[in-house]
Amino acid sequence: MTRQTKKTPERRGGSGGLSEKRRFEQKGTCARMAAEFFAPLPSDSGHRFDEKRAAHLLRRTGFGASPAEIAACVERGLADAVDGLFQAPEDEAEKYARAFDVVNGGMLNFGDADTCRAWWLLRMVSTAAPFREKLALFWHGHFATSVDKVEDTRLMLCQLERFRRQAWGTFRDLVLAIAQDPAMLVWLDGESNTQEHPNENFARELMELFTVGIGHYTEQDVQEAARAFTGWHREAGAFVFHAEAHDAGVKRILGKSGRFNGGDVVNILVAQPETARFLAGKLLRFFATPQPAADVVAAAAELLDRTQLNIEWFLRDLFQSRYFYSDACYRQRIASPVEFVVGTVRTLGVRQPAPELAGNLAGMGQRLLSPPNVKGWDGEQEWVNSTTLAARAAFAETIAGLNAEGNALQPDCPIATRVSPEITAPDQVVERLAEVLFQGDLPAAVRQELAAFLVLGDDGPQPDAFRDDEGFRAAKTRDLLAVMLALPEYQAY
Amino acid sequence: MNMTRRNFIHAGLAGLPCISLAGTHARLFAEAAQAAAAADRNDHVLVVVELAGGNDGLNTLIPLENALYYNNRKTLAIAKQDAVRLNDAVGLHPSLAAMGELFKQGRLAIVQGVGYPNPDRSHFRSMEIWQTASIDKRPPAAGWLGRFLDRLPPAPDDRPSIPGLALTGELPQGMRAGKVSAPVVGQLDQFAGLEEGGQPRHQLRRKLGAASTPTADPVNFLRGQMRAAYRTADLLKDAAAKYKSPVEYPASGLGEQLKRAAQILSGNLGVRVVFASQDGYDTHAGQLEPHAALLSDLAAGLAAFDRDLTALGLADRVVVMTFSEFGRRVAENASGGTDHGAASCLFLQGAPVKGGCHGQYPSLAELDDGDLVFNTDFRRVYGALLAWLGCPATPVLGAEFAALELL
Repeated sequence: MTRQTKKTPERRGGSGGLSEKRRFEQKGTCARMAAEFFAPLPSDSGHRFDEKRAAHLLRRTGFGASPAEIAACVERGLADAVDGLFQAPEDEAEKYARAFDVVNGGMLNFGDADTCRAWWLLRMVSTAAPFREKLALFWHGHFATSVDKVEDTRLMLCQLERFRRQAWGTFRDLVLAIAQDPAMLVWLDGESNTQEHPNENFARELMELFTVGIGHYTEQDVQEAARAFTGWHREAGAFVFHAEAHDAGVKRILGKSGRFNGGDVVNILVAQPETARFLAGKLLRFFATPQPAADVVAAAAELLDRTQLNIEWFLRDLFQSRYFYSDACYRQRIASPVEFVVGTVRTLGVRQPAPELAGNLAGMGQRLLSPPNVKGWDGEQEWVNSTTLAARAAFAETIAGLNAEGNALQPDCPIATRVSPEITAPDQVVERLAEVLFQGDLPAAVRQELAAFLVLGDDGPQPDAFRDDEGFRAAKTRDLLAVMLALPEYQAY
Repeated sequence: MNMTRRNFIHAGLAGLPCISLAGTHARLFAEAAQAAAAADRNDHVLVVVELAGGNDGLNTLIPLENALYYNNRKTLAIAKQDAVRLNDAVGLHPSLAAMGELFKQGRLAIVQGVGYPNPDRSHFRSMEIWQTASIDKRPPAAGWLGRFLDRLPPAPDDRPSIPGLALTGELPQGMRAGKVSAPVVGQLDQFAGLEEGGQPRHQLRRKLGAASTPTADPVNFLRGQMRAAYRTADLLKDAAAKYKSPVEYPASGLGEQLKRAAQILSGNLGVRVVFASQDGYDTHAGQLEPHAALLSDLAAGLAAFDRDLTALGLADRVVVMTFSEFGRRVAENASGGTDHGAASCLFLQGAPVKGGCHGQYPSLAELDDGDLVFNTDFRRVYGALLAWLGCPATPVLGAEFAALELL
């Protein structure tokens, strides 16, 4: 009988045990991998930046777009379109406070969480810079803070503004800002973290969920880091440092020691290779694909590491990469409720009061400002169950039925905004909506079913009525839209 | 012989702990099989009613003879003669007269002094503790009811089944599960149009959405989930159509939820857990009237539910449990209200319960920072309910808790 020799598990991530030469070689391999994976989209005819790819870019970096916006994006070309993302205006806050008053015809009550949710949704629906809101949503899910515990909505809105302002800077600056963010100080009990009574809540989540990820630190590291953050408190809505509550002693964290404060801990953590890997995985899952392959994550981590965790530089490369437009990413995600709702409203160009949209989102399992816990929303398949699908179908019905009076179409109803009244052939109507919603990516068998449905009256197929009777055509087209928005293919984002 | 046997064990069962006692092994298998069979036969139903906001236990179950109660509650105390006297020591809030009747009939069990160690006064956190049955800082993702649902044997394919059902707007944390996806029917009309038949567009939506031709994910996954949604809608519609009852429920959110619960339970859909919720118990100011109204609604709803279950022939297999994330402080505040506290009481209602008061009324003299100190861990109540549901409690609760004799 042969005895099995125990295999030494290979070290992952950390390269402490490797010789300088090996480490250098490894880095070289990673760099090559990154160059390969994130090579730019070729300019040959097979990879043309067409409507499909432009719509993909606009979905992932925003919330879906109208045919005109997609056409304009194609016109600009990929490089220019990506440049445009990062030239968004920095602060639209005041404009939106006023806009909200107009929409709701009343005073803005920021003390109410539902109002704040609606206000954010209004911005997502109408902003000229959806990318900033999309990243704010990403960071809101990453540094998941809930108004249910924080209770003070002003603190939540300040945190949200921080996410907007620092949406695509360096990760280090954002982590530091969040460590001093009043909502976060309430959420993870930093405000009660003192030398006498250290509270580890923030230090633990900082390591486990915000930077290096579980398994890359010890309990000791958590306790020492908590000491470094003692005295990081808040007074009302502002960060304050209480020197008398701060533990100024020597701490030992991840192999380093010194009289560290919170800023030092942030610096130590973001310099760990595991942080680049952890963040790369999260960015890829949010922007590119639900289950990125291990080598893609490694390549992305390398890319992030090379840019010192500069979010803009990383995302610029990602959005212009061949990989981003490959089958591994294209329509591979499941739309989050926000993406589904805001995306539909933007794609169809309809108007719907933001508080109602917030209610729709709750039924689909996503209450903005109230992530289920500090891990944020699990997303993807977790969005989907009987109830949430029923809520999506109900939303599709609501949107398709908007601004319809009897059989007549009002000017801003979704059909009228997207299907010209001159289109009277059923297959062309289907074609047009398949273009608006799917950029043509809808199986032929499904189109046939849809076209057959369009002419179906009470007494069987009525193609003549569909062509000649505008009321009948409008009613059937509205029904068609309700069906199409509820298709599983439409939830694939 | 010996060598062979040892080799066999090493080769075949390496890694399994405690395999040396073949007898124990066999017994464990037999027990597991028995438990599975029992769980399969068991058709008991737990209806959980959440009293969200932190119900004031002191004004729910009043310590009639305790001077400290009257001292601490100068404006909020319920006068002794107004309370619904249950025994020499305690009485119910006057709004709970209907529950006093159930108490007399032995259909109401009251557990006193319920709580958990190191109570947390955050709604969010304390609710998380109750719903996950865990005081760990990082509680399991699945709730305690979800973990129970996950352990149920799968229903045979030909038998439609909705094991868990939430009547709230969103899936409560307690019902989050690993495998079982409990539908939320907070708005039953949300399912309207999903059931079979209906408008032509609904039929087409169903045909295209739930198509069974295999394709790649995520569309394939979404289709599977849509098929489940449509089936649920069919079952719920069917149950609603068949339900007939003369019982009148209060015209309130809770009344609606309980009526729907009876409706769905009468449909024999294999429901084992129902979750309902009544909000508004966070009575920081001007507590007297709103609290009386809440309890009155609660009592009317629960009494109607009890009558309905009896009429439907379901009373012998349904138990209702109320819970709240915490009680309130012993001393009232300056706004005629009470602030977040700790230990409180809860109700178990139904024919199967051992009626009466269980546990000890907490002392009003020995407080923890102004709060009542628990003497009965809430997981001892959960343990009793799980056993009654035919489920081993320890694996669900993650530790052993001596089950109370409540059922």
